[in-house]
Amino acid sequence: MRYICTCCGYIYDPDNGDEMNKIPPGVEFDDLPESWVCPLCYAEFDKFDPLD
Amino acid sequence: MRASVASLYQAVELHQEIPPLLIGERCNPNGSKAFKEALLSEDWDACLKVALDQEGRGAQVLDLCVAYAGRDEVADMMKLAQLFAGSCKAPLMFDSTSPATLEQVLPLYPGRAIINSINLEDGGANLERICRLAKKYGAAVVALTINREGMALTCEQKVAVAKDIYTLVVDQYGLRPEDILFDLLTFTVGSGDETMRDAATETLNAIKQVKEELPGVGFTLGVSNISFGLRPAARKVLNSVFLRLAVEAGLNTAIVDAAKVLPYAAISEADREICLDLLFNRHPEALMTFIDHYEQAVDQEDNEDSDSLPVEELLRQKVLSGDKDGLNDLLSALRGRWQPLDIINNLLVPAMREVGELFGRGDLLLPFVLQSAEVMKQSVTLLEPYMEKLDDDGKTSILLATVAGDVHDIGKNLVDIILTNNGYKVHNIGIKVPAEEIIAKAKELQVDVVGLSGLLVKSALLMKDNLSQFQTVGLTQPVLLGGAALTTKFVAVDCAPNYQEPVVYCADAFAGLKAIREFEAGKLLSTQWEESSVTKNRPSPQQEVLDRSFEPPVVPFVGHRLVTDIDVEKVFSYLNTAALFRGRWGYRRGKMSKEDYAELNTNTVLPLFRRLKDQLVNEGWLQPKVTYGYFDCVSEGDSLLISSDSGEKTFSFPRQENAPGLCIADYFRNGAEGGDKVGFFVVTLGKQLAERTKQLYEADSYHDYLMLHGLGVELTDALAEYWHEKMRIEMGIQQERGSMDAYVAQGYQGSRYGFGYPACPDLGAHEPLFEMLHPEEIGVVLTESFEMVPEMSTSAIIVHHPQAKYFAV
Ligand code: B12
Repeated sequence: MRYICTCCGYIYDPDNGDEMNKIPPGVEFDDLPESWVCPLCYAEFDKFDPLD
Repeated sequence: MRASVASLYQAVELHQEIPPLLIGERCNPNGSKAFKEALLSEDWDACLKVALDQEGRGAQVLDLCVAYAGRDEVADMMKLAQLFAGSCKAPLMFDSTSPATLEQVLPLYPGRAIINSINLEDGGANLERICRLAKKYGAAVVALTINREGMALTCEQKVAVAKDIYTLVVDQYGLRPEDILFDLLTFTVGSGDETMRDAATETLNAIKQVKEELPGVGFTLGVSNISFGLRPAARKVLNSVFLRLAVEAGLNTAIVDAAKVLPYAAISEADREICLDLLFNRHPEALMTFIDHYEQAVDQEDNEDSDSLPVEELLRQKVLSGDKDGLNDLLSALRGRWQPLDIINNLLVPAMREVGELFGRGDLLLPFVLQSAEVMKQSVTLLEPYMEKLDDDGKTSILLATVAGDVHDIGKNLVDIILTNNGYKVHNIGIKVPAEEIIAKAKELQVDVVGLSGLLVKSALLMKDNLSQFQTVGLTQPVLLGGAALTTKFVAVDCAPNYQEPVVYCADAFAGLKAIREFEAGKLLSTQWEESSVTKNRPSPQQEVLDRSFEPPVVPFVGHRLVTDIDVEKVFSYLNTAALFRGRWGYRRGKMSKEDYAELNTNTVLPLFRRLKDQLVNEGWLQPKVTYGYFDCVSEGDSLLISSDSGEKTFSFPRQENAPGLCIADYFRNGAEGGDKVGFFVVTLGKQLAERTKQLYEADSYHDYLMLHGLGVELTDALAEYWHEKMRIEMGIQQERGSMDAYVAQGYQGSRYGFGYPACPDLGAHEPLFEMLHPEEIGVVLTESFEMVPEMSTSAIIVHHPQAKYFAV
């Protein structure tokens, strides 16, 4: 499932992963490491909202 | 001649053969949920339907009220008056006390309307303006017996105020007596309020007396007020009996729901007697007998009509649902049972506590919390006149201030809203407050707790200094700290040790509320920081090698330019609605299903957005302006050296400690490579928006206050996005307009970095930047902490390098 950052609108899509945080494709949002933050605005998990 | 009013299609006499003339009351956002929803979503056809339904049920005149906080009364009135004028047979009654609205709508109406209403609350200024309009356009007027002292309660007061109004309206402004419909006001006899036992008699006697002493005038009355607080089935009977008595006394028109009036003949002798006992206050137990008698009565509408719930429960529901409709009547019913202070402490405060808990669990969204707070605030305002003195002594009190150099208002104000409406006493002493003043106020007002707010990193550092000063002068209050640039660690490690009392980090207003409750319980502790907490990642592009083969872009000019003719619609087209709705406004999906969230969007969020947008655009609250420029530069180590007509400027940037070790200066060519071009801008939405939001805050329109501020924030960013794209196109690194997705994910060449953000954290760079771009020419100035005023302004350095992306240092 995709998640959207409520601060900046960045969308985390498991199909793409997140290069800026060194996350390869295929990692679900719930499985992201605890140190992960929004790659664009550095917001933390609690600022994310489910999209699909 | 007999007085009549008229629509385009028919004339209706105010004195009917069989009185009363029935005036439909439901086209009013405060009286009908359906109408309110239709109005807020600008579903004009649904508004018309409410009108036509009433005609179908026997209304002979239609009252039309569109006054609603945050909406443009004039525009709505014009819209609906024109629509109704063409589609309704019944003449209209324009329900507005605003001369400005009436001035616009009366000339449009192709008939003879009634104005609802005039009174002497302000001593007569509005009355004069409205009477002159009534005279000019031949309208009749409803006159309420209210003067500077308030609503007339006794027969004597009602008659006296009616006479004062008559003198002005007839003798001075030249209307005819038959142009006036006096509303001598009805109050409920159902509340048990001892002072209101004779409410019905006072009104009935007043009608008789005014009819006698001021021949020719007419009357109207909001009949159903007589029974407020009672069960619906009982209300219907009591209203009908009272209407009958009022007509006998001389009432010729009545504001009622025609469908809810029973024919007198259909009311049994026993029922009539019980109603008459209550209306005429014939014996002390009349109300109890009445309530007992209707205990068992069933009404088909009992279920759909929430009136059947106990009034205490109704008030709780009003708070929880953030619904202000009928609050005044509800509170007067409650006052018959409780002391005002008990209503506040035992009913309102617990309901707000419940609101806070729902919010905490993610079951209630922030915008709804603010609507609940509005209900709380308005209830307290309505109860205040009935309280002997404002008993603040027992309350825990809090001093709130935004620290020196910082003009950020809204975070502190939200805290004020939440604390005040949870029953605490808040002294909000404003923005840019120096430590000395905070200390003086804390001592003078003897507050229990001090709260500091600030937006900037500079403000966070100032808070730390302030605490040392508090320590030196011996303040004894615990201090709560809040604002964007603070972290748990900073408060625990850097701030708390400077002060002997608890120093507590509050991530939001509810954390503040929790801290106050802990303080009351004697359990408030300084914020702790555990080393074990996870260290957050620092996202960064992963490239190892920066491409050096690029050419500097060709820029259209060197130096700075001002742009002041910016199309507001264009700015809106760059708006990041996801961030606005979910982030700034707090309409998050959270636990909701996809379908429920889509519904919330269609029914609530999008109508709200359209309403605010129309207001901003039509009322001219936005003045987007830009100053921007291109300059020659060379990269040197971690710095960028820039030549401008105000001399050479140096901008220094931090470098990532770990690989890939990025620094903004690297994106530009150095001297050996032949130098480069750099762009900058400062954009602003102007200062009017701040004034507008301030007005909303002062009017206790908390919900709209946060919403408008949030919209302003995202529009500022939209303007920045727009201008960044404009500059990319000017530099030839982009050909045509991109998409919103691309803007969010930086799917374009180059990057814009705002000063104060992680890759260029030094806000001090605003000083040279301002010398280069002269933002004062578009009305933007700096505070001592390098914050820009007006607040809806933003600045950036524009980098064209193809590999430039956001990164954290
Ligand atoms: C919206 C926003 C903007 C908007 C509006 C700014 C404004 N004045 O409102 C715009 C787009 C205009 C903007 C511009 C800028 N911004 Co800005 N912005 C933000 C953002 C995202 C949210 C601020 C906000 O309005 N929040 C909403 C309010 C309601 O929340 P709040 O003030 O935090 O208050 C809540 C809590 O903090 C708490 N609270 C606050 N005070 C108190 C006090 C007590 C006693 C208690 C109990 C609780 C409490 O309760 C409140 C309600 O729940 C923050 C980052 C963030 N996540 O907070 C950055 C942020 C404040 N911005 C930042 C920067 C750098 C800027 C700019 C300088 C960028 C630039 N170069 O243009 C400009 C400066 C603008 C100016 N006028 O000078 C930095 C500041 C860091 C620094 N270096 O100082 C931040 C922190 C982002 C970051 N992480 O780097 N910004």
